[in-house]
Amino acid sequence: MSVLDLLWRFPSVQMAWRNLGRNRIRTGLATLGIVIGVVAIASLGMTGAALQQQADSNLGSLTNEVSVSAGADSATDGVTESQVDDIENVVVAAAIVPQRSDSTTLSTRRGESRRVTVTGVTNAGALYETSAGDTPDRLRTGALLSDDTAADLGLELGDPVEYDGQLYRIVGLIESDSGFGPGGNELVLPSSALSDGAYDSVTIVAEDGQTATAIADRLDAEFNEPDDEALSVTSFASAQANVDSFLNTLNLALLGIGSISLVVASVAILNVMLMSTIERRGEIGVLRAVGIRRGEVLRMILAEAAFLGLLGGIVGAALSVGTGLVVFQLLAGDRLAVFGWPSIRYVVGGFGFAVVASVLSGLYPAWKAANDPPVEALRG
Amino acid sequence: MGSQVGVVRLAGVTKRYQNGDETIEALADVDFRAERGEMVTVIGPSGSGKSTMLNVIGLLDTPTTGTVRIQTRDVTAFTEDELTEERRSVIGFVFQEFHLLPMLTAVENVELPSMWEPTVDRRDRAVDLLRRVGLGDRLDHTPDELSGGQRQRVAIARALINEPDIVLADEPTGNLDRETGETILEELTALQTNENVAVVAVTHDEQLVEYADRVVELVDGRVTT
Ligand SMILES: Nc1ncnc2c1ncn2[C@@H]1O[C@H](COP(=O)(O)OP(=O)(O)O)[C@@H](O)[C@H]1O
Ligand SMILES: [Mg+2]
Repeated sequence: MSVLDLLWRFPSVQMAWRNLGRNRIRTGLATLGIVIGVVAIASLGMTGAALQQQADSNLGSLTNEVSVSAGADSATDGVTESQVDDIENVVVAAAIVPQRSDSTTLSTRRGESRRVTVTGVTNAGALYETSAGDTPDRLRTGALLSDDTAADLGLELGDPVEYDGQLYRIVGLIESDSGFGPGGNELVLPSSALSDGAYDSVTIVAEDGQTATAIADRLDAEFNEPDDEALSVTSFASAQANVDSFLNTLNLALLGIGSISLVVASVAILNVMLMSTIERRGEIGVLRAVGIRRGEVLRMILAEAAFLGLLGGIVGAALSVGTGLVVFQLLAGDRLAVFGWPSIRYVVGGFGFAVVASVLSGLYPAWKAANDPPVEALRG
Repeated sequence: MGSQVGVVRLAGVTKRYQNGDETIEALADVDFRAERGEMVTVIGPSGSGKSTMLNVIGLLDTPTTGTVRIQTRDVTAFTEDELTEERRSVIGFVFQEFHLLPMLTAVENVELPSMWEPTVDRRDRAVDLLRRVGLGDRLDHTPDELSGGQRQRVAIARALINEPDIVLADEPTGNLDRETGETILEELTALQTNENVAVVAVTHDEQLVEYADRVVELVDGRVTT
């Protein structure tokens, strides 16, 4: 209330408000243009934010792993023992799990069979969680099997499985519920069970995504030249970065579309302000004749434009929040997330853009009206 | 006080308009002076330069040659912003078409010229002026709720709000019937004595002449009397 009182002390503001009240339909239509612009820019921005949030929560669990395999220019067929040593020298404070891969068919005495991937790994505990049995830090003799494969084949802890002519006893069952990554139809054996020689890949498990990214960058710098890729280093954090950058591009495109509608709205305001100052030419001439200064006329008309922007901005922001609630409910399943800064900033931005664009659109009409010679204006 | 110099004074004022190839001389070497407490009527046929002369006196237009003085100040070379200040503090205007702002009430229209001034008592003064022109009961009416004569009274009150030295009226009765026109003229003559201002009124109507202390006649931009 006191802010309004204060505003009212400014004659330009008071006159502007009254002038807008004179042609309500025109004021309403100009405001509507701004409302549409703000809703467009804010709801498209918030849609991007909701997609981002959803992508984050889907990728979240995997982002701390870095996967290393032989690079395109590598002379060897995989990651060699000495390269693993080098990696161990470079990477600290992370579990380094070299592994070999193969596939085989497991069959039971009853004649059922399943195709499984075989992973030879020593430090199984770093990669796998078991629902039953052990997850030995060093897997020397036993085997781990995905629990759903075990169930399909009727295998239990302690049962033997055969690979490459050797029998291994099942010491643990792997939870196979995770969406991405390891798990599902997988047989994990001691590293020695698979042929020696190079490893097929090395998985590095870091504290979090940031460390994983740092490790990946470090390895890349250490082993690879721009034209000589010895190791192919993939971090899921960088996969997330890829998703992020895609979403950023998408966001920019969405915001671009939104901005275009605000630009269109500004042109509409320019048009409305120009028409209304031309219509009121004589009246503005009277103001100038009775001694109202040019700056005062200028401010009055700028205030009109600012009011249009403010009105449109407020209504637009309110509608945008409403739209955002629906969008977040649908895309991220959490409608209150709309009030988080990553999303609400688009509402704030849209509102700010509306006011600034309106004032800018008012500049030319205001300048033109203020500098119209009063004699000419009065003659009509 | 300033009766030797005049409250406003034109000396050798010529105003030319360029209309394509043709040059129109709206005012030709005009000398003019008005004193406080005096009512001067400017008459002449249509197109003789009456409005142009009033606009020059009112600092809305600048002469092509010649000088314009307000009291002792030579304002001929003033910038637009300086002229605006002069208009605000020295001159009051009454127009043929009233030129009231439709969204403002009578009292707000009267306040208008002082609206941007931080004066505290302008509302009181506006009400007082409206009472004086007989509109004490129409303070909050908007122009479309007032008759032509009432609108012109509001305009007269508006011309007085900044306590001017000169009131200029360009055909103030032109849009009014004869009877209403006479009441407006009486109002204007009352000004010149009550407010001690110079009143310069333009008309092409002989009727106005009987209210004047002095008559200036223009023909083709020249003063003939
Ligand atoms: N802005 C202008 N451009 C060109 N000619 C003008 C302009 N203003 C006035 N004139 C001309 O100057 C002359 C005097 O005009 P004006 O002062 O309006 O006469 P009056 O008020 O006596 O009818 C007329 O011939 C008119 O056409
Ligand atoms: Mg005229």
